[in-house]
Amino acid sequence: DPGAVVPAPQNLSVHSANMKHLLVWSPVILPGETVHYWVEYQGEYESLYMSHVWIPSSWCSPTPGPECDVTDDITATVPYRLRVRATSGPRASAWSALKPPFNRNSTLLLPPRMAVRKDGSHLVIELEDLGPQFEFFVTFWRKAPGAKEHAKVVRSVGFPVYLGAMEPGAVYCVKARALVRAIARRSAFSQAQCVEVQGEALPL
Amino acid sequence: SLGFRRCLISVDMRHLERSFQEIKRTLQNKDVFQNVTILSTLQSLQGIKPIDVCCVTRNLLAFYMDKVLKDHQEPNPQIRRQISSIANSFLHTQKTLQQCEQRWCHCSQEATNATSIIQDNYDQLEVRAAAIKSLGELDIFLAWINKNHQETS
Repeated sequence: DPGAVVPAPQNLSVHSANMKHLLVWSPVILPGETVHYWVEYQGEYESLYMSHVWIPSSWCSPTPGPECDVTDDITATVPYRLRVRATSGPRASAWSALKPPFNRNSTLLLPPRMAVRKDGSHLVIELEDLGPQFEFFVTFWRKAPGAKEHAKVVRSVGFPVYLGAMEPGAVYCVKARALVRAIARRSAFSQAQCVEVQGEALPL
Repeated sequence: SLGFRRCLISVDMRHLERSFQEIKRTLQNKDVFQNVTILSTLQSLQGIKPIDVCCVTRNLLAFYMDKVLKDHQEPNPQIRRQISSIANSFLHTQKTLQQCEQRWCHCSQEATNATSIIQDNYDQLEVRAAAIKSLGELDIFLAWINKNHQETS
């Protein structure tokens, strides 16, 4: 029905994990019509000093689906206001605004996935690449009474990081957590992973 | 990220520089007074004492937030998006600086003079021209932050 009002999208929320932010909402159903959605945002700066200024989202002006990756729009650690409207042909709904505004410092930081292995007599770790804002705090130790824990901050990922030499017959364990300075937060530690070095343990 | 010499505040410098690089040529092409500079005094600030770094940073952030960004009206959505990213990053940094302001943000006469000169340079130009020039010179300010706020760890 060309004269019918286009309902505004409802139930806006942001799902954010590991600094990836996805705005979602309930779809607007108009039988027989093609609905598109337009997403706009405002950082706290705009809210404070230029409240009339709304910026079209990088990827969702327009978008066909009831979701929008706003990661490239949320680029500072301040509250961001987000709004969505639906259109069908020339007709547009009212704007629906996300309440409360979203701040990326609320993102869910998950323990990083890692692969621990031996390279000869060396302890090696490989960490998943979560993007340029992530650093990793890695601790490793020899599994033995009174063994000292060593620590290393890993800033670039995507390739093996050598943690140190291992002694034959010993077991070494590693765990890691993610750090994001831009929001001054860190994740929980991952589960420890251990590897055993072949060969005879050295006499004490 | 960098920690301010006295106030350990994290600035996502890589993102700021990338945002600026995307709009630098466009902004600098709009600058009609190419033979004049507003942030030139920053080059002369190389010998600024560590104790003044926080104050100069705070004053220059205020210069950009309260004057330059307000005086500049940007019609181009792509440019506006990058300016918004920079403005909101500066806003976050300002708020964090305010938390440690009392203890560390001492202003010597030298530091005050340095930022007053920049203000004076700005006021001598027509406001829109001054704003566009100051935005085009953001790399001078970012380089100054980069140099003066090396992490102490």
